[in-house]
Amino acid sequence: MLARAIAAEWLKLKRKWILALAVIGPLGVVLLQAVNYGLRYDYVMKQNADDPWGGLLQATTGLMLPALFIGLALVASLSAGVEHAAGGWKQLLALPLTRLQVFAAKTLLTLLLLLLSCTLLAVFTLAFGAVLGFSLQELPWPDLLRQSYAPYAAAMPFVALQIGLSLAIGNQAVPMTIGVLGMVVSLFGMLLPDWVPYNWPWLALKAETALRAAAAGLGGGLLLLAAGCMHFTRKDVS
Amino acid sequence: MRRLLSAEWLKLRRSIVWLLLPVSPLIAFAVAWKAPLEAIGGAGWMEAYIISANVHGLMFLPLLVGIFAALLCRFEHASGGWKQLLALPVRPGAVYLSKLAALAGLVALLQLLLGAALLAGGLLRGMDGGVPWAELGRALLGGWVACLPLAALQLWASFAWSSFAAPLVLGTVFTLPNMLVVNSERFAPWYPWAQPLLAMMPRSEEGFGAFNVPAESLFLVIGGSFALFLAAGWLHFRRRAV
Repeated sequence: MLARAIAAEWLKLKRKWILALAVIGPLGVVLLQAVNYGLRYDYVMKQNADDPWGGLLQATTGLMLPALFIGLALVASLSAGVEHAAGGWKQLLALPLTRLQVFAAKTLLTLLLLLLSCTLLAVFTLAFGAVLGFSLQELPWPDLLRQSYAPYAAAMPFVALQIGLSLAIGNQAVPMTIGVLGMVVSLFGMLLPDWVPYNWPWLALKAETALRAAAAGLGGGLLLLAAGCMHFTRKDVS
Repeated sequence: MRRLLSAEWLKLRRSIVWLLLPVSPLIAFAVAWKAPLEAIGGAGWMEAYIISANVHGLMFLPLLVGIFAALLCRFEHASGGWKQLLALPVRPGAVYLSKLAALAGLVALLQLLLGAALLAGGLLRGMDGGVPWAELGRALLGGWVACLPLAALQLWASFAWSSFAAPLVLGTVFTLPNMLVVNSERFAPWYPWAQPLLAMMPRSEEGFGAFNVPAESLFLVIGGSFALFLAAGWLHFRRRAV
């Protein structure tokens, strides 16, 4: 049943260019790095002469985190906005599905799309490095994988928050605005104390703190998802 | 025109604009009040201003322009409002210009609030006298002027796409590269989204990167992109089917 509910969600989002967004996000991050490298190749390569992969990975993260923050807000808002727009909730919830299944389908699709984006980022980064002629033997696989997936786990509280807000509030201007402002705050996340969730995606980039940040993110995310789900299952349909 | 503007005011009055306006003024207030500064008094004012203008101009200002523009068009998209508004005995061009004027007014209000918050924070700390009025005023006004092209573009995107998220994504996609662009002496002067920050930075001898480009080239870029975006949005608005 859940699989069919997810398929239905996918059908609704397919026409909203959402897959294109999931591809354009990571592609944009890598393309911007390509411009950066293209314009000042000699300077960048001289700076990272002993560790070209490390330099590339580090340069990518600066743009990856804000892209992740705006992407998660956008996907959550689009997936809920479809129903808010044209009395969709009444129709969807009249089907023989539990509220939990509806919530789970929307959440899982959001998570899958973001996971796809993170995977694509790793692939595009790898491809770009190969194009630049970096040796694949020296590729630091653990770093590449950590950088691609640990921030995703650490940002889970924000995924849960945006899903909850987008479902709870009909006016999608509110969750989108909160998402955009959250992205700006996250840019300065590493200046905040460790316990502030905006710092977790940054902590997830560093080898020493990655595991802790990812675990904290997953835990916090699950808690917030449970809260959002409880609110959604009890909410009146307007 | 005046009555169209007052209609915009009525629609804005109940929206979340009022929660968004204080965001960066609050940062400026906190910086002027509590941040560790090297000097108190004349130079301290500029130091506090530069810190807050960096945060404000790099991201908040260009992004807020996009959010304001999308909010201004939300009512019309939500429930057939375009049909209602354009069925009134007003020229479509006037509707478009009044929306642009409302948007420019909101940005002006934001800049004024930023200045006021900075002054309030500084006075609380006990910085008295030597407020560099001319420099502050010129920088805040420059930031406002530099936002006009972005306002025209975002307004165009906001009425063209009925989704609230789409124009916001457009704004974000072009604002994020600011982080890279402002460090580049060659490209920042030509990049419209970097102009608010560049215009808000006081010109000085020890500026770095693109912060020292001559004002003439800035105004060429700002004026040119404003004319382009305004003309394109205006033509599209007058010709499109409702």
